[in-house]
Amino acid sequence: MSTSATSRQRILDRIRAEEGPKATGAFVGSSAGPHAYFRRGALDRSACLSLMIERLREYDAEVVECTPEQISTTIDDQLSASGKHLFTAPQGLPSAWMSASFDWKVDHQLPAEEIEKTEGVVTASFCGIADSGTIVLHHSASEGRRVLTLLPDWHLCILRASQVVETLPEYFDRCPAPPALATYISGPSATADIEMTRIKGVHGPRFLHVILVRDES
Amino acid sequence: MSPDQAITAEPAPHTSALRPIPAHEHAELDPRFAPPFPQAALHVLRNPQLRKNVAHAIDVIQTKRGKLVAEKQDWQALRDAASAIRTEALDHLGTYLHEFEKNCTAAGGTVHWAADADEARRIILDLLRQEKASEVIKIKTMTSAEIQLNPFLEKSGLEVYETDLAEIILQLGEEEPSHIVVPALHINRSQVREIFARRMGLEHLSDDPKELTNAARAYLRRKFLTIPTAISGANFLIAETGGVAVVESEGNGRMCLTLPQTMITIAGIEKVLPRFNDLEVMLQLLARSATGERMNPYTSLWTGVTPGDGPQNFHVVLLDNGRSSILKKPVERQTLKCIRCAACMNACPVYRQTGGHAYGSVYPGPIGAILTPQLMKMEFAQSLPYASSLCGACYEVCPVKINIPEVLLELRSQVVNQERGQAGRFFDPMYLGLRIANLLFARAWRFHLAQRLGRIGLRLFTRKDGWIHSLPSVGGKWTQTRDLRGFPEQTFHEWWAARAKEDQ
Repeated sequence: MSTSATSRQRILDRIRAEEGPKATGAFVGSSAGPHAYFRRGALDRSACLSLMIERLREYDAEVVECTPEQISTTIDDQLSASGKHLFTAPQGLPSAWMSASFDWKVDHQLPAEEIEKTEGVVTASFCGIADSGTIVLHHSASEGRRVLTLLPDWHLCILRASQVVETLPEYFDRCPAPPALATYISGPSATADIEMTRIKGVHGPRFLHVILVRDES
Repeated sequence: MSPDQAITAEPAPHTSALRPIPAHEHAELDPRFAPPFPQAALHVLRNPQLRKNVAHAIDVIQTKRGKLVAEKQDWQALRDAASAIRTEALDHLGTYLHEFEKNCTAAGGTVHWAADADEARRIILDLLRQEKASEVIKIKTMTSAEIQLNPFLEKSGLEVYETDLAEIILQLGEEEPSHIVVPALHINRSQVREIFARRMGLEHLSDDPKELTNAARAYLRRKFLTIPTAISGANFLIAETGGVAVVESEGNGRMCLTLPQTMITIAGIEKVLPRFNDLEVMLQLLARSATGERMNPYTSLWTGVTPGDGPQNFHVVLLDNGRSSILKKPVERQTLKCIRCAACMNACPVYRQTGGHAYGSVYPGPIGAILTPQLMKMEFAQSLPYASSLCGACYEVCPVKINIPEVLLELRSQVVNQERGQAGRFFDPMYLGLRIANLLFARAWRFHLAQRLGRIGLRLFTRKDGWIHSLPSVGGKWTQTRDLRGFPEQTFHEWWAARAKEDQ
């Protein structure tokens, strides 16, 4: 890597020479620049949740709502309705969510081929962003490794109302620290590369189902 | 059968669509070999099928974008913030690259620096050889197209598989990209069908986009699961965390970022953002500007290596290739703020007519017109700064507020200064004319004399209706497409002087 090391110095020298008097050489921690864009949304909670549902449905995602007590039975209903039997579960998925009427592969470093063979996956999530209908995964134990929500064709995602924010900046405010891994999902995999005709399902899951848990009073 | 039959009614033979001057293998979009813009554009303007394909795609994106931007009440504030963030990143580029390198390395990644295209290609090939790779899967990256990575790797004996649908179409059809976000927008469904049928051996394929997409899905599925090495670009490098962000739609990116053992990311040095939180601005602007979506289907963020999740070997190649030389120029440096959304080309009346190939570069449209000549250190592609009507639509839509017309004008003046110095240009009619004009405008009496002589001279060509319909020699270039008003019998000055006399 000796050439790369020389190039490194050459590139950095060239850049440094052009940085000008404003450069402090120190990392600027807090966000610089104007902040006139909206940080907070303007909607009340119920309108914000309605927007989240509306956006998800625009992406052809299926959305059902339930109370915290109904999570297990609602998952059960969704799995039954899917007509599928073999599901992947992240290592940290609550066991109450995994009905015994179905076959489960729990992810303890499952090889990709094994995950590929399952028909669907059930995960929790980190956040929902109503403005764009985005589901945020930070890939915690209950959200699963990245590959889990990628190979199975059918993804059932549990989102709590208390996790839903209206704007993207509100999501950033909720991050305790920048995540090492994150995936933002806004609708199922899609392409418009052929004559701008939107086709659902190229490589990622073709079907996204969301259970919105009404955990706010 | 689809409602879009009008567009596909007369499929043009796709291969002959755009081959102006194949001076060199894979060189059509190499600015060193590409013909000047007006010559290449003329070729495209004679292909109605291609123009239809381009116009259709652009119209769809523009309509969607317009709607989504209108609903965003803080759009201008977001543009201001994005512009400030990108400017700050460039003002402290050395600091932030240092920070990125430090944090990426601490997270288990390896950072390489490439001064030019050649060095970047060699670094990547060395890494692939270390991994004993014979095949590699790729996420769409403009930076790899810039350094012509694929032909180089193929010549070195590697099998390279593009995984973005548009890139597969281009790769299998041996076509060149004509747009930076939707690179195959110049190819219609029947042309895609022909390419897939021929290259995938699927004779009974229809031209239904859904069926074509499924063919691509099946073609790639095994490759994703078996090829252990991948190459990606980066939408953003995050200095604060050493993380990388990739935005995409299809999931091919997530496949490449998740399944292989080794990931090599190539990114221009300007791609760095200071902080993780800066994404809250950039991600609101990017998809809306690029594809007219509130958010692209998938955004992936990763930091170095995560044990048990995704590639366990991670390399970033930071590419200069002329960028640091742009940084020192006060007007031109804003070019490096670009986040490659393509809003400028979608809005450009010139691009709409010519499509991307006429620009002779992997970066077409208004941003290409300013970026390409600068990456070429103004030694090639000097016709590109003129490939614009200076209408300003590109500046208006740019999410990071690059004043493209301002840079175009600056580059034009550089081109003029270059040309003026050339010996053969002394008798060039344009420069001759400008020198004469300079002489005439320098003194009032010379100007008035010229006016009088001009009036007498032009009388010869002025018809009874008061218009000049044709002029000889160089003047004919003007009257070829428009008429010219005859010289008035009296100039304003003369009229004013005469009026003053009458009043006395």
